[in-house]
Amino acid sequence: MNTSRDDVSISIRSAFLKEGTKQKFSFLALITLSIILILVEKNETKPLNFFRSFIKDVIYRSSVVVSAPSKGFSNFAIFVKSHFNVRNNYYLLKKENEELKNNKTKTEFLELENTQLRKLIDEQVSSKNNLLSSRVMLDKQSPYLNSFIINVGGNKNIKNGMAVLDGKNFIGRIVDVNFFSSRVLLVTDLNSKIPVLIAPSAHHAILNGRGMNKPTLEYLPEKHMLKNGDKVYTSGKGGIFSTGIPIGKIKIEDNIIKVYLFSDLEQITFVNIDLGNIEKNN
Amino acid sequence: MTYFHKQIKYKFFNLLPILLLFFIALNGNSIIDLKLFSINIHYILVYYFVLKKSENFGYGLIFLSGIINDVVFGFPLGVNALSLLVIAAVATYVRFVTVRITLLNDWITFISALLLANLVYFFSLYFSEYSIDYMHLFTNSIFTIIFYPILWFIFSTISRIANS
Repeated sequence: MNTSRDDVSISIRSAFLKEGTKQKFSFLALITLSIILILVEKNETKPLNFFRSFIKDVIYRSSVVVSAPSKGFSNFAIFVKSHFNVRNNYYLLKKENEELKNNKTKTEFLELENTQLRKLIDEQVSSKNNLLSSRVMLDKQSPYLNSFIINVGGNKNIKNGMAVLDGKNFIGRIVDVNFFSSRVLLVTDLNSKIPVLIAPSAHHAILNGRGMNKPTLEYLPEKHMLKNGDKVYTSGKGGIFSTGIPIGKIKIEDNIIKVYLFSDLEQITFVNIDLGNIEKNN
Repeated sequence: MTYFHKQIKYKFFNLLPILLLFFIALNGNSIIDLKLFSINIHYILVYYFVLKKSENFGYGLIFLSGIINDVVFGFPLGVNALSLLVIAAVATYVRFVTVRITLLNDWITFISALLLANLVYFFSLYFSEYSIDYMHLFTNSIFTIIFYPILWFIFSTISRIANS
């Protein structure tokens, strides 16, 4: 028994230390370096943050250059596909246009009524949001992490936790800020937990990402009366995000309350970042 | 001219695995994720070339490609680098103790390398407090094992062209 154990240890030592197989970098040193990098990941000190930001910015820029041909090819494929869908789209848009025309009259009336009511309560009609636009730089969807990279970072006062919107719809939050880039964690990711408010029932819940599947609602009151089509908004609880940013609508499938997002996460090119009160205070 | 042409061809095919290693890491293609299955070609590439052509495939390059992969996919730095180094370590050991090289031998030993690498991957993510879809990781591992022979033939062809 001892002899066979000795044989294994001798062969392991020989495999890594034999002259012929010697490499420029020591295997053990690289293993140790990897472990150290993993251990210091949560460590937020200035030199470490500088080192991480520098490495990530360089790799993101290189990745943009390397993935340009494949991105061009996929854009071409989308173009060809959309070309063949023109006819179907035409009929869909025609139908949608008629519906919108009908709704326009209703909206005009509601707008008028809204303005009158606002005047009545002396409310200042202005946007509360302080948005910054940004372009999606890299959207390499890892099967394990639903996120993408945008082309603004610490240089534009971006901070961890800020809400990221597609138009006016909530799609995720900032989780990693570098000098010239940031990572956005999408609401569909397993690590995403967003406090939400449901209209019209006004129930509070947590929107839980489920990777490839639709996000679900959790921590709802026991006797809730949610139904298909109810709207989900950010609740602003904990002061993380602004209140009332639209996220999606509810669809109950097999007793699981799923949320269908208002935005198609695979078709995002530009995003808005809610800077909150940072610039207003400056 | 012919000699020069042969030299270029030889150098290109020798460098091809390294170019491929960095291309898939930078392009985010290390895991080919299709509707029905997903394969981790990064693992297969590292295992095959450390086993067959270790003189061109340094640990430093493997570590660097792992770090790039971590950054592109948004994982804590070092997670993929560590699991790729584990794959490389098993391949180095297998190369040293194997006398007769066959596809079957490679395939069976690759399973143990993959199990060990996934174990390291799991613990690294667990301690970094990252949640991932473990069912996806499981199916990915199964299909990576199934597709190993196909990629083995592709890489063998590349190696044969380089040697010719």
